[in-house]
Amino acid sequence: MDAYTGKDGKLPPLWHYGKTEHDPISTKTLGFWLYMISDALIFAGLFAAYGVLDQTMNYAGGPTPAQVVHPIAAFWQTLAVMSSVLSYSLATVAIKRGNARGVVLGIICAIVLAGVFLGLEVSDFISLFGIGATPDRSGFLAAFFMLVAVHGLHMMFGILWMLVLLPQILRFGLNTDVITRLLNLRLFWQFQASIWVCVYVFVYLRGTIQ
Amino acid sequence: MTDPHATEPDPLLHPEVRQAGVVGYVSGYALTVMLLLAALVVTEQRSMAATPLLATLSGLAIFLLIAQCLLFFGLDLSRYHIWKTASLILTVPLFILSIGLTVWMFHSLNDQTMLPEMPGMDMQPTTLQ
Repeated sequence: MDAYTGKDGKLPPLWHYGKTEHDPISTKTLGFWLYMISDALIFAGLFAAYGVLDQTMNYAGGPTPAQVVHPIAAFWQTLAVMSSVLSYSLATVAIKRGNARGVVLGIICAIVLAGVFLGLEVSDFISLFGIGATPDRSGFLAAFFMLVAVHGLHMMFGILWMLVLLPQILRFGLNTDVITRLLNLRLFWQFQASIWVCVYVFVYLRGTIQ
Repeated sequence: MTDPHATEPDPLLHPEVRQAGVVGYVSGYALTVMLLLAALVVTEQRSMAATPLLATLSGLAIFLLIAQCLLFFGLDLSRYHIWKTASLILTVPLFILSIGLTVWMFHSLNDQTMLPEMPGMDMQPTTLQ
């Protein structure tokens, strides 16, 4: 007799269709939360590299942090990213009320504000490239661009994710699958706000006082 | 084929959905923007020496991260959030080790192995100077 055969002689089901003990929203949200923590560790590695390379020797005679960062200009980016996160967060309040139109509106506002953030970042990068501050100029600049650009890439993928979710909301409504995806994106988007706090304080503000 | 979601409870009643709240999100937004603006003003005015200013900014960042954990992510010790809170708390030492020890190790290495900084090392001509 097979060790896995039940007392009734039948094999246990390989997969339980339908409702099981664990609810899908909680398990998928926890799983995505653990993924976000691993993503945060990637940022920890980038901040560590930046902390190591933010030193006179690694400027290689090139631009120093005070010449590269512009905290007042970057504060507009702060406003854009935080407003985008607020807009998406309010969209999830609309989920609670079953208001699909409110969800769509919140997401569209979040996309626009994230687009403003990315536009400001790209414009900052272009102006830095214009004065010769490129990633290959010094170890410090490589770490600076990598750290800031990885956050920007996250923002870009967040926009893409929202664009994918919008038609799903319109087609399927607020069912379990769509809500689970919207909640995971909320985690992802709010995580960008936390990372930006670290980038703004430890790169932009700290850069001006060295 | 039957709809797999037909017997599921209303997803709008799930605690993860009910966690969303206007007051918490708006408070988190306002707190973040106001404190970062205050940090910007203090930094631009140079009203403090570099070391205490860096310490203040670091403390502010940690405070804001904790505030966002509570107001944005809704972390608490309730049944539906305790594993998120526990996993984050268990990861905090990894952040401290990976960033703090790496920076400390390389700066110590630099101090102990590299030649002292010579006058003019940071004054090479660049397009910015």
